[in-house]
Amino acid sequence: MPISFAEIQAGHSFPPVVQSYAQPAIDHYALASLDMNPVHTNEDWAARAKVFGIPETVGHGMMTMSTLASVVTRARGVIGKNGGSIRFVDAKFTKPVKVGETVTATGKVKQKHYFGPGKNWVQVDVEARDATGDLIGLAEVGYNLPD
Amino acid sequence: MPVPSRLDRYVETEKQKHFSRDFMIGWERYETWDEATVGQSGLAQRTFEITEEDILDYNRACGETDPLMIDPAFARQHSPTGELLQHPVFVTTIAFYSLGEKGIGTWIRTPGARNPQQRIEIIEPFRYGEIISTTITTADKFTQRGKPYLQMLLDFRNESSVLKARWWCSLILPATRADVARFANA
Repeated sequence: MPISFAEIQAGHSFPPVVQSYAQPAIDHYALASLDMNPVHTNEDWAARAKVFGIPETVGHGMMTMSTLASVVTRARGVIGKNGGSIRFVDAKFTKPVKVGETVTATGKVKQKHYFGPGKNWVQVDVEARDATGDLIGLAEVGYNLPD
Repeated sequence: MPVPSRLDRYVETEKQKHFSRDFMIGWERYETWDEATVGQSGLAQRTFEITEEDILDYNRACGETDPLMIDPAFARQHSPTGELLQHPVFVTTIAFYSLGEKGIGTWIRTPGARNPQQRIEIIEPFRYGEIISTTITTADKFTQRGKPYLQMLLDFRNESSVLKARWWCSLILPATRADVARFANA
């Protein structure tokens, strides 16, 4: 549903995004992003190296960032039907995503930024949690909206 | 180090066919935390031509469902640009392809690296056929709770020098080449 900067209010929430971090999903992301670090794709090396203190592969941080940003892109579009668009994504990662996890990301409008006609934008705060409810990442997503 | 052959099934694009998937080859030449100098700047090894298949595969790997992002025929009819719309984190692909295996910023490939935070700004959408050059600047180098952090700013410009996107890329790294070796030889 199209929505304008004037209409949207702090607290406006976005539908959750659920993303599998099963090994096939991580493998696909590795090829798509060309981030072929073995901590994501090589189970034997990951078990020996224990980069995160665990003997398993983990999802890419950039995959988590993508899941966080997808909360906004799926609700409003990268370039929305009413002209909205993503202007930035600022993400922090709080826990590695172990292979096999299912991650759920949710977001709410935190701030409205009055930059003037055609330039107004909102900050959407997004968080992602694993199946145990632990926080695995946070992001601030800036989204331009038509006046 | 052998790369698992099961990854072959995900090869979809020309770039993926020719990209070296073994990040352990040449790790001895990757820039390390102790060698990096704040302010140092340079161009990435390779340019990146934006193609439909690059954008399509990234969007699909993110699980996107919007036909404007995953259906090229639909996008030709309905998207504001007549092209697939790219996920905002798509610059990841441009960076990993462009940086290559030696020189400034190659620490992005480091075995044993951990990802604490990232910031990406989108100035305007990439368009098919654009040739993207990436300028890398070492932006910060610090320790926090005893861990060595390195940050670079990647500026992505098209063939007309128009700035398209910026990425402040940060990693926690093994501090020295000897530290990297412990992971590379694990």
